[in-house]
Amino acid sequence: MTAKNAPTDLVVDAGTLARFMPMHLLLDAEGRILGLGPTLQRILGDRNAIGTRFEDWFEVRSPGGGTTMTDVLDRSAHRFRLALRNRGRVGLRGVGQRLPKGGQILINLSFGIDLIAAVGEFGLTDADFAATDLAMELLFMAEANASVTRELRGLNLRLEGARVAAEEEALTDPLTGLRNRRAVDLWLERLLATGTAFGLLNLDLDYFKQVNDSFGHPAGDHVLATVGQLLRDQSRAEDCAARIGGDEFVVILPDRTDPEVLSNVAARIIARLSEPIPFEGQVCRISASVGIVRSVDFPNEGAAEMLAAADRALYAAKHAGRGQARLIGSAVA
Amino acid sequence: MDALLLRSLQGYVRDTFGPPVWQAVCRRSGLTIETFEPMLRYAPGLADRVAQGVAEVLGRPVEAVWEDMGTHLVTNPRHQGVRRLLRFGGIGFTDFLQSLEELPGRTRLALADIDLPDLSLKELAPDRFEIRCQSRVKGLVRVLVGILTAMADDYGTLSVIETDDICGDRIVVRVLDRFHNAARRFDLAVPDA
Repeated sequence: MTAKNAPTDLVVDAGTLARFMPMHLLLDAEGRILGLGPTLQRILGDRNAIGTRFEDWFEVRSPGGGTTMTDVLDRSAHRFRLALRNRGRVGLRGVGQRLPKGGQILINLSFGIDLIAAVGEFGLTDADFAATDLAMELLFMAEANASVTRELRGLNLRLEGARVAAEEEALTDPLTGLRNRRAVDLWLERLLATGTAFGLLNLDLDYFKQVNDSFGHPAGDHVLATVGQLLRDQSRAEDCAARIGGDEFVVILPDRTDPEVLSNVAARIIARLSEPIPFEGQVCRISASVGIVRSVDFPNEGAAEMLAAADRALYAAKHAGRGQARLIGSAVA
Repeated sequence: MDALLLRSLQGYVRDTFGPPVWQAVCRRSGLTIETFEPMLRYAPGLADRVAQGVAEVLGRPVEAVWEDMGTHLVTNPRHQGVRRLLRFGGIGFTDFLQSLEELPGRTRLALADIDLPDLSLKELAPDRFEIRCQSRVKGLVRVLVGILTAMADDYGTLSVIETDDICGDRIVVRVLDRFHNAARRFDLAVPDA
């Protein structure tokens, strides 16, 4: 496109051309390099490019089928893409035009979207770009965006951490560090939904009221905390040990349904709980009764039915004398 | 904007004076939190209130706190981000000053809803510039003074940067020697972490 009043005999010296178009290339009619901008020279490296051929340095990526600049200009009126033969990673795009006199060809190149790779590869500075070039804006934006993304990722991680902690807190009994009633409901719901078999111990402390009455509530709290520690020690990572009432506890053991194994676990817990618990020069003595149920005995029942059955098993254990465990199946219920 | 300032205050106080001092600031300012998130929103005026808390705990004028925080933003070796973004503004310090008016626009490219203050620059003489900065946050002009001081240093330029204590929104920069020191190296490419 030529404006009507544009001077046709405009003469531009090499210095001006270099300043306005630091990545220009001037070829003679045969495609030999007559001159080039300082930034382009820097990219091509130490070897002097003057007198060499265009295709020695550049591979034509589009328009397809072109090798020389004459091919390119014949095929593409608008824009072409090149790759540097010495640096495969960096692409260039350009526009070219035959000049009116002597068949010379003037080409202007830019990095396009490969700018970010190019500044790293060639160690370019602000001074290597034309003052009107948006290169600095693009680089600024890329870095600013990277910082914002990094901050958002960090924020997401911190919020996720806070969410996990809040959830943990909502499912934890603060006095004993065990899970709470809500956690037991969630566990049972999940195990029943996935059809995972499990054993469940319902544990009630014996003689706890006497500890409270004789030594006071601080002693009672100490005993509860000790029970919490003991139940945590006695359960595996995949188990859920919870305090669901004043002195009532539940342990859920996924994939454990062998009556003997469950009875052994209960017996071990009872034995450990029956050991004296010292508190401020006094000795507190408790024990525990345990009701045991297994999910396999209640194939069509929900969480509430299983807990009710566990409660009956616990009651049976209490009746059999303190410090006992009783397992019941659906038949007994 | 408040969130960025609060996070910067937190970083400056923790890095320079240690976490216990920051905790003291939070207690004194009546905060229930000790960590500010740069991407969240906080109540308007909170940044000035917390800066006042820092000033009281450190026993220094609040203006000095804001200025030092601005300098810290640029010079902190562990977080080069702000310095790098500002260096994209120009080849030399005066070039950089002349790009300041474009800074809010550039920043909005990355964070569309950031409310950076409007900056206007007037060239009083080739070596004298007047910058006006209008912001809800009282301390912001002082933060800018701290940033400009650090950037002059980064470019190796000797300059005098003063605020107008009457209006409070005006900064005058006098460039004394553009080539006082060698500029700190600046590669356009992000350095490898």
